[in-house]
Amino acid sequence: MNYGPLIFLAAFIGLSASWFGFVLTPQIQLGRAQQATNTVNTAQLYPIARPGLAQEGLEVYKANGCFYCHSQQVGQTGTQVNFILTEIGTNPVAVAEGLLTAKVGLTNANAAGLSAGLPKTILRNVPIGDAKKAAKVTRDNGASGTVEVVAVGPDIARGWGIRRSVAADYLYDSTVMLGSQRVGPDLANVGARLPDANWHYRHLYVPRSVVKDSAMPAYSYLFKTRKIEGRPSPDALQLDEGFAPENGYEIVPTDEAKALVAYLLSLNSSTPLFEAPVTVATAPAAPAQTNSPAQ
Amino acid sequence: MSSPLNQPQSSPAEASQSQRRGPAVPIWLIVFLFLLLYWGALYFDANGGWFSPKIYAPYRDVEELTALQPGGGGNEFFELGKAVYNRPTCSACHQASGQGSPGQFPPLAGSEWVLEEQPGRIIRLVLYGMHGPVTVKGQQYNSSMVPWNVLSDEEVAAVITYVRQNKEWGNNASAVTPDQVKAIREKVGNRTQPFTADELMKIATNE
Amino acid sequence: MNASCSTTPSAAENDSTLRVIDASCRPPLVFLFCGAALWLVVAWAFALIAGLKFHSPNFLANCSWLTYGRVYPVSTNALLYGFAIPAGLGVGLWILARLGRTTVVQPWIIAFGAKLWHFGVFVGLVEILRGNSTGFEGLEIPKAGAILMFLGYMLIGIWSLLTLYVRTERTLSAPQWFIIAALFWFPWIFTTAHLLLTVFPVRGVTQSIIVWWFSGNLRFVWLALVGLGAIFYLTPLLMKRTLHSEYLALFTFWTIILFASWNGIPQGAPVPAWMPALSTVTTVLTLVTLLTFAVNIYRTCGNGCSTGQNPVEGKFIAFGSIAFVIAVLMSIVGLLRELNPLVSFTWFTVAQADLNVFGFFSMTMIGAILYITPRVTGFNWACSNKAKASFWLAAAGIVLYTVSLAAGGVMQGVKLNNPQIAFNEVSRASLMPLRMSTLGQLLILTASVLLLWNLVGVLVRIVKAQVNPVNANSVAAAEVKS
Repeated sequence: MNYGPLIFLAAFIGLSASWFGFVLTPQIQLGRAQQATNTVNTAQLYPIARPGLAQEGLEVYKANGCFYCHSQQVGQTGTQVNFILTEIGTNPVAVAEGLLTAKVGLTNANAAGLSAGLPKTILRNVPIGDAKKAAKVTRDNGASGTVEVVAVGPDIARGWGIRRSVAADYLYDSTVMLGSQRVGPDLANVGARLPDANWHYRHLYVPRSVVKDSAMPAYSYLFKTRKIEGRPSPDALQLDEGFAPENGYEIVPTDEAKALVAYLLSLNSSTPLFEAPVTVATAPAAPAQTNSPAQ
Repeated sequence: MSSPLNQPQSSPAEASQSQRRGPAVPIWLIVFLFLLLYWGALYFDANGGWFSPKIYAPYRDVEELTALQPGGGGNEFFELGKAVYNRPTCSACHQASGQGSPGQFPPLAGSEWVLEEQPGRIIRLVLYGMHGPVTVKGQQYNSSMVPWNVLSDEEVAAVITYVRQNKEWGNNASAVTPDQVKAIREKVGNRTQPFTADELMKIATNE
Repeated sequence: MNASCSTTPSAAENDSTLRVIDASCRPPLVFLFCGAALWLVVAWAFALIAGLKFHSPNFLANCSWLTYGRVYPVSTNALLYGFAIPAGLGVGLWILARLGRTTVVQPWIIAFGAKLWHFGVFVGLVEILRGNSTGFEGLEIPKAGAILMFLGYMLIGIWSLLTLYVRTERTLSAPQWFIIAALFWFPWIFTTAHLLLTVFPVRGVTQSIIVWWFSGNLRFVWLALVGLGAIFYLTPLLMKRTLHSEYLALFTFWTIILFASWNGIPQGAPVPAWMPALSTVTTVLTLVTLLTFAVNIYRTCGNGCSTGQNPVEGKFIAFGSIAFVIAVLMSIVGLLRELNPLVSFTWFTVAQADLNVFGFFSMTMIGAILYITPRVTGFNWACSNKAKASFWLAAAGIVLYTVSLAAGGVMQGVKLNNPQIAFNEVSRASLMPLRMSTLGQLLILTASVLLLWNLVGVLVRIVKAQVNPVNANSVAAAEVKS
């Protein structure tokens, strides 16, 4: 018996099946269809290609292997729906009664209780249907409120993002470095979380000057120590006592460090998308915050 | 090729390896494989989103996602208003952007007429129309607006709410309820003549 | 050499045909194995440098070439591309020649391919140290190195298949299926990955999907095919029995090909849900691969497994078999709904990956190298104390390394999932297991040095034999006879 061709066929079938599944199909699904991505409830286009300096910074991030310790993907374990009452209107009693009869999960509601301290969350973690019903009841009775959709999960609770990461977040990136380890915190949203460039410079130069007991190595080779001649450079790092260079010297970031920080600041994935719906914090429509002209 | 290889003479271990293929696969293993495949089908059905490019864990299907959309799915009243506005009723003159057209039709975005704290005047204006000179955001306009009392109370309330609360236009005033529209309809009665700006200004805003 | 040395070729094997076949393998195997052993030392030396950075974050931090993000990928790439693949190709070639009962076709071309491959790895690793990594985990070697490696592979692969083609024993047995499929597998996944990632890069997250697909296919399918092929060939030989069932082996083969080729996409990945779901299902299906393999090997060994008479290469191979079972079980357990959040993004995944590449594959290959080299070169050294010491060092090292990282990873995961615990606290808690794993790395490094020392010894004797043939040949003959 000679099974040679059969084995070749087996390998061919097995590999081409997985090739079609995980190489070709994702190209068809995500490679083309995504390009018109924009957000659902705002006119804002998302994502936007990274500016040039940030793109250079991506190369620095890649060259120094930052992604072996930092992931760039936020997870989410579920979604929580809340209902926030923003305005009680002129008939609080009717609102309270309406909410009770609508059976949206509110057991004791009275006019005085609802009116106090608005806006406030009156329904927490309810089915979306109940929250919408509550919105309709309050509106019909002259009050108003918003349905709030929030992502939940340990990553979200750590403040690493407001929703899970999806394919659209990486649309324009070449060399997507999602990372597989969390030796350090996730960076998917670091530009929104830590928007201060100086903080990043100090952190890269001596991590322990800003994060106590940090396990991150110092990237001092991205900086230059030089003698101050004339006026100090405006770029020079403002370091705390004990980390600062000796008198007469200053630490300035190299072009690589500047690009890297620009890249870190460009990491921002806090726009809601259809595939990961969340309510972004907008000013609640409470009377005090309307822009109606003063009477 | 060297000569000893032309007559294959196998060593005992290897000769028996090529002849004896051993017992067949035990049946319990095949049963186990099929049980796993069955589990796999159930798992994929529950977690796989059926190959949709829009479904990410922990969501299960498009219906669930659509229901959770903020704004769109969450506020049907606002959406109704948007639909009424663009029928086109209002958008024919005031444009979908709410900017109107300079010198002809006044803007709604940021208009002091739209954003008044109490909606009494704007409801009248929409229900019965308006004609004659009017000043909006410091600009003079002189044209006329047709009455929209053919719309239901809910539609009028929704469209005014849409205009007053349209954050894309920078508007952020209180919502209007169908009851308020109904009350004004009853108060004004059977009027066929459009309002003028002066007339409207004489009405207290909360009436 | 003492008389009880268990690696002495048996009388049955000692016939002239096998001697001729083994001798024809000498040039490619010496080149493949010596280079591989060198990279093994490099891999664990760099792994040790990377590990020491968790003892002191500023250790060698001032030099960009030695920053963690460059040293760590050098260690993983040296292990996978420097050691595992060439060693696997060498062992595979030898199995194809032996089971096909034919001499190797153009052994010097394969030896040249081996040189090209190793040179490609060298170029690639230097490029990574210079900061020119591709940025794709598991595929860091940039184009320059990859092209050389690919050409080297093609020379080795094509002439290995030609050796298969001219075989005199036409019936293919279980180990050959595994090796043949693996030979086809690598060029396909390697070219797909490089074409779509470095030559004509696709955009967005599809890059990551391709990397996961490539990594899954290389680390699970390719390594499993070659490693299990070697185990299925060598275990019966060492036990002086026949393989329990070729049908079970065929079942193992098909399940790897059909199921394992889909695994690799992690559950939380930012890709549509169907991909991780499919990957999860297929990974769980590899439980069947595991069972068929375990039953087959267990039945083949019979009572032999428990006897202490196992020669040292048998010990390596037995360790590899057990490590395969545990590594696959770890990957399946890590996908369970309750456990996945605790192990994803932690050191547990590293422990699993390294147990697979080192504990299973590399240990099996070292066992095979110890078995093959005396037969191919005619110099018997494998039962020296160095080989025994290297087994115990490597085994203790990988056990310490895996256990501490896996346990530390779960602890890290539990803390990561509790947002009340500050992140600093999480990373501080995982330092202790990391430091313990460094000790494991040190043990493995010592074992690798011993292996290299052994191979260099053989190399020196081969060179000496070339210089002074008469004297050396009589020594070699005396050794083999003893």
